[in-house]
Amino acid sequence: MATIERAETPLAVALDRLILLAMLAALAGILTAAMVFQYALGELPCPLCLLQRYAMLGCCFGLLRQLRSGESERGGGIAMIFAVLLLIISARQTLLDLFPRPGHEYIGSAIFGIHMPVWSVFIALALLLGLGARLALFDALRSALTAKHLLVVRLAQALFVYVILICAVNFVSVVLQCGGGECHTFGYRLLP
Amino acid sequence: MMAAIYATLLIALILELSGRRLCAVSCLSVSFGLCVWLFLWEIYSPEYGFRMPWLRAEAVPLFGPSGTC
Repeated sequence: MATIERAETPLAVALDRLILLAMLAALAGILTAAMVFQYALGELPCPLCLLQRYAMLGCCFGLLRQLRSGESERGGGIAMIFAVLLLIISARQTLLDLFPRPGHEYIGSAIFGIHMPVWSVFIALALLLGLGARLALFDALRSALTAKHLLVVRLAQALFVYVILICAVNFVSVVLQCGGGECHTFGYRLLP
Repeated sequence: MMAAIYATLLIALILELSGRRLCAVSCLSVSFGLCVWLFLWEIYSPEYGFRMPWLRAEAVPLFGPSGTC
């Protein structure tokens, strides 16, 4: 039985890792922007907004795992699962706020005329498209990062630490906002 | 509950960084389960359940008395 040789050229491996890094950097940037809106502009996140942030952080987990291990596609699979979760949560919130009713309107500022839950739908679709395109283009490359990819390795490590920092700040923020209960608040529950 | 979701995710990320991959995925699974549970709790309404009655879709006949073609 004939076997098909995989074309795992250094360029293909580098491009594959660059796509993952780009997605990770974009997610880290979006989460940072959300935190700037929260702390600098005083826009408190709603419960579904916090769950969307969580889904983005879950995507980061999958992308980081995929970046660090080229032996399997588990990381990519985890990222896809969290991208679908993000799509479901953001689509539901968009449908909740789509029809203006008392107590149900888009929360927070619009960016380029579009509110965050709608942006989240686009972000989830872009993530799914990116992960799918990666598989279609590179056919699940089986090559771990080596010393030749020093820049990618260092960037991945730096982003990993940054994502953990974002998650830690969000955890503290959630504790201050919600305590141990539900998050339907108009201020930080544990702050005077 | 939200704090527990973020706490388990933070633990999963730290475990992944320290190389304990199985423990990391276990923590992430717990976190994912809690998130799904909280999402369903958040969107459930005692009045409407999971339905969204404010979204109304109406089938309009293209041909016939109310149609314009």
